[in-house]
Amino acid sequence: MKNLIVLLLLLFSFTASAQNDSLFNRATTYYNEGEYEKASENYFKIIENGEHSAAVYYNLGNCYYKLNQIAPSIYYYEKALLLKPNDREIKNNLSYAKNMTLDAFEPLPETSLSKLYKNITRLLSFDQWSYAAVLFVFLFILAYLLFYYLRYSTQKRIAFIASITSFFIAVFCFVLALIQFRDFKAEIPAIVFSEELIVKSEPNNRSSQAFLLHEGTKVYVLDELDDWKKIELKDGKTGWVPSDEIKLLKDF
Amino acid sequence: MAQDKEAITFEVKLSKSKLGINERLRVDFAMNKDGDNFTPPDFQGFRVLMGPSQSISSSWINGVRSYSKTYSYTLAPTAQGKFTIKQATITIDGKVYKSLSKNVEVTAAVDRPNDQMSVDDIADDNLHLVAEVSKTSPYLNEAISVVYKLYVSPSINVSNFRHLDNPKYNNFWSQDMPFTRYDVQNGTYEGKAYRFVVLKRVVLYPQKSGQLTIEPLSLDVTLEVPSNKRDFFGGRIYTQTNKTVSAGKRIINVKPLPVEGKPSDFGGAVGSFEFSVSTSKTTLNASESLQAIITVKGNGNLKLFQLPEPSLPGALEVYEPEFNEEVRTTLSGMKGKVSNNYTIVPSFRGKYPIPGITFSYFDPEIKSYKSVTSDEIMINVMEGPLGSGAITNAPSSQNKQAVIGANDQFNFIKLKPNLTAIGTNYFFGSTRFYFWLFSPFLLIPIAVLFGKRREAIASDIAGNKIKKANKLARKYLSEAKKALGNKDAFYIALEKALHNYLKAKLKIETSEFSKDKIASLLSKKEIDETAIHAFVDLLKNCEMARYSPFSDVQMQQDYNKASETISSIDKKL
Repeated sequence: MKNLIVLLLLLFSFTASAQNDSLFNRATTYYNEGEYEKASENYFKIIENGEHSAAVYYNLGNCYYKLNQIAPSIYYYEKALLLKPNDREIKNNLSYAKNMTLDAFEPLPETSLSKLYKNITRLLSFDQWSYAAVLFVFLFILAYLLFYYLRYSTQKRIAFIASITSFFIAVFCFVLALIQFRDFKAEIPAIVFSEELIVKSEPNNRSSQAFLLHEGTKVYVLDELDDWKKIELKDGKTGWVPSDEIKLLKDF
Repeated sequence: MAQDKEAITFEVKLSKSKLGINERLRVDFAMNKDGDNFTPPDFQGFRVLMGPSQSISSSWINGVRSYSKTYSYTLAPTAQGKFTIKQATITIDGKVYKSLSKNVEVTAAVDRPNDQMSVDDIADDNLHLVAEVSKTSPYLNEAISVVYKLYVSPSINVSNFRHLDNPKYNNFWSQDMPFTRYDVQNGTYEGKAYRFVVLKRVVLYPQKSGQLTIEPLSLDVTLEVPSNKRDFFGGRIYTQTNKTVSAGKRIINVKPLPVEGKPSDFGGAVGSFEFSVSTSKTTLNASESLQAIITVKGNGNLKLFQLPEPSLPGALEVYEPEFNEEVRTTLSGMKGKVSNNYTIVPSFRGKYPIPGITFSYFDPEIKSYKSVTSDEIMINVMEGPLGSGAITNAPSSQNKQAVIGANDQFNFIKLKPNLTAIGTNYFFGSTRFYFWLFSPFLLIPIAVLFGKRREAIASDIAGNKIKKANKLARKYLSEAKKALGNKDAFYIALEKALHNYLKAKLKIETSEFSKDKIASLLSKKEIDETAIHAFVDLLKNCEMARYSPFSDVQMQQDYNKASETISSIDKKL
């Protein structure tokens, strides 16, 4: 009986994914024929069915780029990048879309130390760092056992050094994964969707205008109060905006 | 003149018919031929201050003599009221002539008991400087014009004038419209015929709402005014005088622009305008330049507002705009066009939208605001390097351009779906992760225990022996063990196993297999006699078993014996 249910579930999920695959293929055809709206409808159906991938979001971004809609285009490219952080095609097309945005600002200057820190932590994603940590733990155990079993002192020495090094590398990877995971959790990026967004200095309508943003700009959410969100820009400016004017990237 | 030669006139002339009680009245009795017995009237109600004084003038013009004799009196009224200057009589050539009687009204005392009109009085009456304002209650920034005109009556002459004080138009933006020469025109002023000269024309744009004053314009005018004196020929002598005239202060009531319906981007433009945004091209290569022109055309305060600025994509290089104006100022205001010419150089490939620009202005004709929005323009940059966008991951943006390379096209969509269920499924922090991270550490105690045990086993000799025998037996006698109970099969298998063993250990071929040979070979390997004997016995048993009955017990015995023998031989080999 139990086996039967499992089998049925498997079969169901298989048919669902088969349906999504055909939706995806149809979308590809639509896209190639220039019917970008129909293509994007199909991609949305796939997402509604509870499945996603970097490819789906990337293709949605392409559709919106072709339709000259800046904000959704950048939004879906950025989403694709979250799933596949180092994909070159996505980065390439995202830079096309970013050319269309109106806002440009100088990012805050960074010290060389923090640059180095960022360069190292961002070398791999936190999942990749954790895989590396597991790998080096295994290497450490292997080297340790070799050290334990080997009889000759030179071999023992080499094994010992190898085990100690891989142990430290494993700890290092784990710490980096931890740091990056914390950074990732703390960072809540969002994309401005309204054509022109007046950023206020306080979370109410009476307060004065701090600055102006235009659609497609990436902001980081720091805080939230009622229907307002506190945002920060790449150049360090902060302000409050109504929640429905921006769209969070990490909503999956 | 001919008929006048005979005609004799006798007239009375009053200097004025209405006078104040503190004024004087001059009465002249004039005749054109000398007479006798002049009898003045009794001037009732007046006191004679002076007179009678006689004056005679005679002149010859073109052979005609003209003569005039006048008796003059200067009178001062004694009471208010209406009086009559009665008839005077004179006898000329024997005839009595009478003058007409005249009525005089004496009123209350007047301010200036000037009997004589002064030159200034005459100038005041005959010279007027007027400021004509086209609109006295304009909107803020709506054009009004002021025209200064100098009206001069035909009885006086203006020989020169000089501007004393040019008005300052505080709170107005003003533009003077100069002209090269003054034209004298004919016109009317308060119903009388005058000549006038336009002195100054100014267009004003009020910059503040409320009551604004236009300061008066003052002129110093040199005039020629006729005097009472006459020259030798009887013509009037003109006296020259200077007179300062000024146009009165004018108050302009400037209405503020209505607050209701004021667009948020209203930049102060008032008038009626056309608005357009255009680019010189929409398709180009990177590092070529294009012009975006924002133009406002029409009537209104063209020089007084800021043109709306386009909000251009941050990735475009935009230079300071070049401002052009082609504006003519007329009495009705400024007319023409102003434009801002932006030079744009895209450095990277891609599409760049120039969003629609909204221009708002107030139309005073229909008294409401109007907004014009231009269409969005899309600029396509075909060739050129690909930008990374201005706001990509900060410090490495330069590097990133290099990584992406110069020839990366806009990529096509991905064709493999690689779908996964939506949901966060991070490896880091999952139990799976911690299992894989820490479970290897358990291997250490396991391995240590294992190693310890192996050492213990290695040190246990007796146990080892048995183990080894078992191992050998397993290797060679497994088939025989399987056939245990089945006599024929068992012994065939046993014999085969023994042979195989020898084959493996002593390297002998099956063909040269005889018990003697085996015995000698084994003894060569220094194997003790009992073991050789047991081995040969076993082979014998195998042969015998084929022809005689063997019990199960014997079979088991032989099996055990075989394994023991093999292990004992093996120890020596």
